[in-house]
Amino acid sequence: MKKMIWLTIITVLFLVLIAPLVLSLALKIIPSNVQPSYDSNVRVSLYKDRELTQEFIANNNNLTSIGTSIRNPNLKNKKDVIFNLYENNILIRTSKLNGLNLEDGSFVRYDFPPIHDSLGKKYTFTISSPDAGAEETIELFIRDADSSSGIVEYMYLGEIKAGGIPMVQYYLPINKAEVLKSVLSNFSARFLFHRSQI
Amino acid sequence: MKIKLLILAVVLRLLVSAFIFHPDIKTFNFQSQFLKRGVLNIYTYLETNKSNLSIKDEFVYFPLTYFTLGGYQAIVSPFLGNEFVTWLNNADSNAFTLDPNIFKYLIILKLPYLICDFAIAFLLLKYFDDKKLGKKAFTLWLFNPFTIYYIYAFGNVDIFPVAITLLSLILVKSNKLKLAALSLGIAAGFKLYPLLFVPFLLLKGKDIKEKFLLGFIPFLTFGLISLPFISQAFIKSTLISGLTTRIFNPGFDVGFGESIIVGLSLFAALFYAAWLIDKKLNVFKYWLAILLIIFSFSHFHIAWLLWIAPLAPFVVILSIKKSYLSYPLFYLAIIVTIIPLLYQDRSMSISLYRIYSIWFDLIPTPFTLIQKFFDPYNLQSILHSLFAGGAGVIVYRVFKSEKLIR
Repeated sequence: MKKMIWLTIITVLFLVLIAPLVLSLALKIIPSNVQPSYDSNVRVSLYKDRELTQEFIANNNNLTSIGTSIRNPNLKNKKDVIFNLYENNILIRTSKLNGLNLEDGSFVRYDFPPIHDSLGKKYTFTISSPDAGAEETIELFIRDADSSSGIVEYMYLGEIKAGGIPMVQYYLPINKAEVLKSVLSNFSARFLFHRSQI
Repeated sequence: MKIKLLILAVVLRLLVSAFIFHPDIKTFNFQSQFLKRGVLNIYTYLETNKSNLSIKDEFVYFPLTYFTLGGYQAIVSPFLGNEFVTWLNNADSNAFTLDPNIFKYLIILKLPYLICDFAIAFLLLKYFDDKKLGKKAFTLWLFNPFTIYYIYAFGNVDIFPVAITLLSLILVKSNKLKLAALSLGIAAGFKLYPLLFVPFLLLKGKDIKEKFLLGFIPFLTFGLISLPFISQAFIKSTLISGLTTRIFNPGFDVGFGESIIVGLSLFAALFYAAWLIDKKLNVFKYWLAILLIIFSFSHFHIAWLLWIAPLAPFVVILSIKKSYLSYPLFYLAIIVTIIPLLYQDRSMSISLYRIYSIWFDLIPTPFTLIQKFFDPYNLQSILHSLFAGGAGVIVYRVFKSEKLIR
């Protein structure tokens, strides 16, 4: 019976202490913001030469990925959906996803090699699906400008407006200790918040 | 058991309650909140008001679950605070997971489970005439990692029917068969599965009249509980649920559109064996066998594993006397617990830890990881087959142990 008591204690401690630590160490990239909310009725369509251009400010160094929600109505788009990242109008990164892998309404990430000194810099990206026809459109959700996620302005059909896609920036952590520290400090801030106590 | 151990049992449960979060507990508490606003028929209410509600899921449990959770919520609402309702109604999974009050909410919402959990421990203590065996069963219930995980990690409301079903088993042992039948009917008022045990209970009746009553009482009780709510919404939400559709999942084709449902065939075989062959019918053995058949031959939800958990200490007691059984039984429990972790469902694995960090959404599930080098469905099938084979032998051993389990 003693064995079962010890096994139970060890299992519970593993579940509530060790497993979260292991998961923290398994994180390869870290988001710098939570995806901002958006109105699902406000969207732009991408196909042929209809592309979206957006400007944003990087929140951290080592920017390595941009994520957003994409619609692929009736999963009709089976063409490449291309992400190009520019700095001062110079193409610095390119990433592609195929429509075959884009579930309608899913959150997708465009990964690229990290930009080490990205913090505070202004970048522009385009998202396009030039091989898609009018019946194979990809749709992007649009929201207002949002400083916490770095959303500044976007251009669509030659028109410039404040706002952009509800994007999440991801960066490559310097080391695992940094990740662990961030997870623990965020968790403890919530757990030790005065109202969380009974 | 020493008071220190009891405190330890409580602390371990509170730790899992506060830090592991399955969103189902929020969903059915969102639905149960309408009781304190005077909504008695939750099924039609949800259907009618679907467009105005932030969470649009159906209430898949039976009425007593709604009244128990809703009643409890009404009692503890002063402790939950004013922001609790806002939290319940918030459908933004990031926002409600990051709410600093979530730890308090989870502990308070899971407290009824703690009460039922300890009630089960005391029922097990009472079940055995031999006090030593009773204490072993009591300790085994409180100190095993499986039930703590099934109940508190998943906010498993099945704990209510499980406790009442165990009470029914104790009543059978005390030969209070009609009360046992009534208990099964009440348990079914929470969730349908205890009705599966009725065919074996009715065989305990001494004559046709008693047999009829033992078969009729559970269904009458269940009917009385459900009747006021009968509607298309109720049937759609509850009766066409996972259990009924999964348990009757066809097994193998016999041609011309017909197939043999393996679980149902074995259920029928057990019933006929109990009726025609078994002269000293012991319902415990059959109930255990039925549950093992369900888990062996259907795609089960991890919450269902709790159904068999109160019966497990009996089998462990058996394995204490026949020590060679304890390790095989333990390995089977591990296998059956791992299978749902491999489902393509984040909330079965990584998402349980979102309370620590929503960044864990970036970590692939076990399913996705395994997919890189092996077919995860195949691995599930392998584990499920191993479990089914092992479970068959456990059933055989239990049926062979006449004197050890009464």
